[in-house]
Amino acid sequence: MAVKTVHQLTIVSNQSLKRLAYYFKIWLMMSKNSFLVMMSQKKLLVLFLAGKLLRFGFFTAFMYFLVTEADSLAGYNVNQTIFFFLTFNVIDILAQFLFREVYRFRSLLVSGDFDLVLTKPRNPLFRVLMGGADVIDLITIPPLLATVIYFGQFLNPSLLHTTFYILLVINGLLISTAFHIAVLAFGIITLEIDHTIMIFRDLTNLGRLPIDIYKQPLKGVLTFLIPVGIMVTLPAKALMGLVTFPAVILSFGIGVGTIFVSLKFWNFALKHYTSASS
Amino acid sequence: MKKYLQIFKISFQQEFAYRTNFIMWRMRNVLQIVLVFFLWDAAFSSSEKILFGYDKAKILTYVFGLIIVKAFVLSAKSADVAGEVAGGELSNHLIKPVNYFKYWLTRDVSSKVLNLFFAIGESVLLFLILKPPFFIQTNFLSLLMFFVSIVLASFIFFVLLFITSSIPFWVPEAAWGVHFLITVVAVEFLSGALFPLDVLPLALQNILNFTPFPYMIFFPLQIYLGKLTGFIAFKGIFVSGIWAVILWGVMNSVWRKGLKVYQAHGR
Repeated sequence: MAVKTVHQLTIVSNQSLKRLAYYFKIWLMMSKNSFLVMMSQKKLLVLFLAGKLLRFGFFTAFMYFLVTEADSLAGYNVNQTIFFFLTFNVIDILAQFLFREVYRFRSLLVSGDFDLVLTKPRNPLFRVLMGGADVIDLITIPPLLATVIYFGQFLNPSLLHTTFYILLVINGLLISTAFHIAVLAFGIITLEIDHTIMIFRDLTNLGRLPIDIYKQPLKGVLTFLIPVGIMVTLPAKALMGLVTFPAVILSFGIGVGTIFVSLKFWNFALKHYTSASS
Repeated sequence: MKKYLQIFKISFQQEFAYRTNFIMWRMRNVLQIVLVFFLWDAAFSSSEKILFGYDKAKILTYVFGLIIVKAFVLSAKSADVAGEVAGGELSNHLIKPVNYFKYWLTRDVSSKVLNLFFAIGESVLLFLILKPPFFIQTNFLSLLMFFVSIVLASFIFFVLLFITSSIPFWVPEAAWGVHFLITVVAVEFLSGALFPLDVLPLALQNILNFTPFPYMIFFPLQIYLGKLTGFIAFKGIFVSGIWAVILWGVMNSVWRKGLKVYQAHGR
């Protein structure tokens, strides 16, 4: 009996792996298409890349000059403040790289083309969430990671704190995924995507700096209601040795919880999809 | 004049047709200001502290001033011109008995009136919630020069938008990319819309002073805060005016050349 159970488990796990490989293959194909579209507009690519790099450079320079003059920001020195900003960028850019398709969801809805997505033999959420990886963000990821490692060294992290940091960055991505799913679901119900996603980005932008600078009740809202603090501030704090193991576990609980709630919301929205535009 | 008044009215009503969009756009502005406000609030750990020549009251006044000045200067519908050039919709306007520049200037003014109205409401609300120390300028001459400087700044931004929007005459696919680079990123950082420019090293400030960007946000707010007075403020307004004239000339020249190569792509 026990042998049979192990055998069944093996079958299930093989099926899951096959399913994962199937979706990974689809993702690679969709990403390749998305990259080819962007590479056919090289001038546009250069302009956006230059804009993103300038924006990043300007803000980093501003933070450096400000915190150097002020000595510290909410008790954090220049390196620590810049590290908060870099960690925010890691999560933000990875999310934009993976979920750029969310920004194009409105046109699918209003044109009625979402119906075509629903008829295909793959998960519609997967298609509208990850259907168009962004090559511009992909280009910026390696230098950004190198900068994170460079500035992270100055904080003298232990192996444990580095592990916490990596785990909490993954958790931050999980929360970001949940937000993107919620925006998609909200879009199905209201047809409003463009501003909702930008408001989400503005809210997460509040995490460019440690959320310790905000006062209550905003700080509470950014920690628990819209967990920007857990998403972007906590990983950086972990590398500085300011986060305990139970806090890491609790953060993962919140991360998984947000994913669960957002999936419920997506299913609810999908049931209320009227296909009015087609 | 009558037809532009009608354009003003229609444009104003159009904004109300997309109320959710407009409210969310204003909400975004408030969120951006909240970040800057708390950043400076945290930097001034004690109220006696002086950073970059600002005390806490003046820097937080700068942040609140940003809401008003940005609403007045940077609210512009003419950002859509690039799309019209790239998509060929410009042809519809060329055959109408309406001056294209005046058409968009009128639409910009209507957008500014509406945004300013909301910006004042937001400022009052945020002021009541955050209760920051605030600097009130009482000198009539400074207030007058502040007003003149933001009118000039609005015109500079309008002309800059049109120059940027002319690029799709030659490179239609670059319409949004050029806007992103110049009127979003460059203007946001180099005009003082995110932080006062005297945060930057002196050498960098000197270079920036040779560009029109500081005259859009930073310069008017410096006049309001009383950091620039008398002859220096007059000189700044004069330079601002010179920039407006130079850019107006450049815009006309670029636009004329652009119209000669215009192919109404997409039509």
